[in-house]
Amino acid sequence: MNGLEAIVYHNGFSMAAVGISIVFTALVALSIIIAQLHKLLLVWDNRKALIQKLRGKRNASEAAKAPEPDVSDFHNIHEEARQFNILIQVMGEPFSLPELIYLAETRGIRHPHATAAHLITKGLVFPDNKGFFLWNHEVYNQLVKGSRH
Amino acid sequence: MELFLDFFANTGFAMADYRNLIMLGIGMLFIYLGIAKHYEPLLLVPIGFGILLGNIPVFKGLGLGIYEPNSVLHYLYFGVTQGIYPPLVFLGIGAMTDFSTLLARPVLMLLGAAAQMGIFMTFLGALALGFAPNEAASIGIIGGADGPTAIFLTAKLAKELIGPIAVAAYSYMALVPVIQPPIMRLLTTRKERLVQMEEPRQVSKREKLIFPILAVLLCCFIAPAALPLLGLLFLGNLLKEAVVTERLAQAARTSVIDSVTILLGMTVGASTQADVFLTGKSIGIFVLGAVSFGVATASGLIFAKIMNLFLKEKINPLLGAAGVSAVPDSARVVHMVGQEEDPTNYLLMHAMAPNVSGVIGSAVGAGILWSFIIG
Repeated sequence: MNGLEAIVYHNGFSMAAVGISIVFTALVALSIIIAQLHKLLLVWDNRKALIQKLRGKRNASEAAKAPEPDVSDFHNIHEEARQFNILIQVMGEPFSLPELIYLAETRGIRHPHATAAHLITKGLVFPDNKGFFLWNHEVYNQLVKGSRH
Repeated sequence: MELFLDFFANTGFAMADYRNLIMLGIGMLFIYLGIAKHYEPLLLVPIGFGILLGNIPVFKGLGLGIYEPNSVLHYLYFGVTQGIYPPLVFLGIGAMTDFSTLLARPVLMLLGAAAQMGIFMTFLGALALGFAPNEAASIGIIGGADGPTAIFLTAKLAKELIGPIAVAAYSYMALVPVIQPPIMRLLTTRKERLVQMEEPRQVSKREKLIFPILAVLLCCFIAPAALPLLGLLFLGNLLKEAVVTERLAQAARTSVIDSVTILLGMTVGASTQADVFLTGKSIGIFVLGAVSFGVATASGLIFAKIMNLFLKEKINPLLGAAGVSAVPDSARVVHMVGQEEDPTNYLLMHAMAPNVSGVIGSAVGAGILWSFIIG
């Protein structure tokens, strides 16, 4: 059997039509999902802010009275300096500031960016003028001594 | 003297006929194209050498030929006939493939789907020429321009055609730089070929990690028969993107795929014994394979032009030709043809998106045909 007769006999037109439709369905569905993927990830990353925003809308008056974030311990430079000193001992000197902040983040140290800025302001961390940073042991030792007295 | 004549009667010189010589010539041509012309050397050299091995006339009954049970070649061929090697090749391809451009512009995935028209049009053509449905499906898949997929489906549906179909599929893959450019120039205007693509957005590591899991679940839920190929393709990609499994990814993209390619190429070549290969069917397969490849390329190009009617940011229609899954050759050809018109137009990165989606599309197409014919 040849020609159109063979195609019709073997149900060829239906198979081809359904086949190409399924290929398109699979790839269209996949393309739609991956087109939304980065947006979904963005929503997931900002979930806390979104939840707070939603709650804020519900309880606008309560939100207005919400307490300021607790930053009282932020000014306790002794503890921050001690934690960063340990990390710097692990890393060795001179060290990269972004790497230090990353290490601090992964070890659960609070406010690593602000803390690093704070330590720089207080002169505990200072640049080596070659793109890296050094730890001021003198200032640190004085700080530790001061805290013991 | 009688002993000498007996020995001579059992040598290849006495047993060879003109068909063996033709096939030996084809084997040498493949090796020449691979080594001297650099046409897919990693495939054409093992296949060409396999053709030489398969067409050295041997005394039947000694367990030497690939079709004789208990021969070494027969055992190695088992990986082809049972469809074991192609998914392992896909594992390696997955571990090599970067899906970033696809994730950055998912709309280009449609070009990979459009190019699969070639598979189904050729399936109809093969049926019209009198091939049985299982043979027609195996011939049609040549249009996917994906050697492992073609071998996988043929091993499942028409084992006796593995030799000609594999040789046709790999030959046309090697000839991508010859077959595709004239079709591309014919179906696009110079203005269209000059279209420059916008820079794709940066894709995050998490997107790349989630993609293989999402893709395997979605595609295999839609077309479960594509599981052996897509399962290992996306496993390989997950190993690559996970970073913590770098050792496994490294093995998949080097030792695993290299070993399998040697065995696959050599045994497929050896399966082209003259008495099995030089038939009218093989000629039909070669003709239909070429048609299939041409239709696939044309479908991708035309679909890209249709997409441009609806898209705000126009795409270069040449990208449609990369929808056939000859990775990365068809993407490279798209880039070359684009650069002929404008040397500052870099299309390679953009063409990789339809190219890798063509791999997914042809595996899905193979799964569908398999389930239609077996079902």
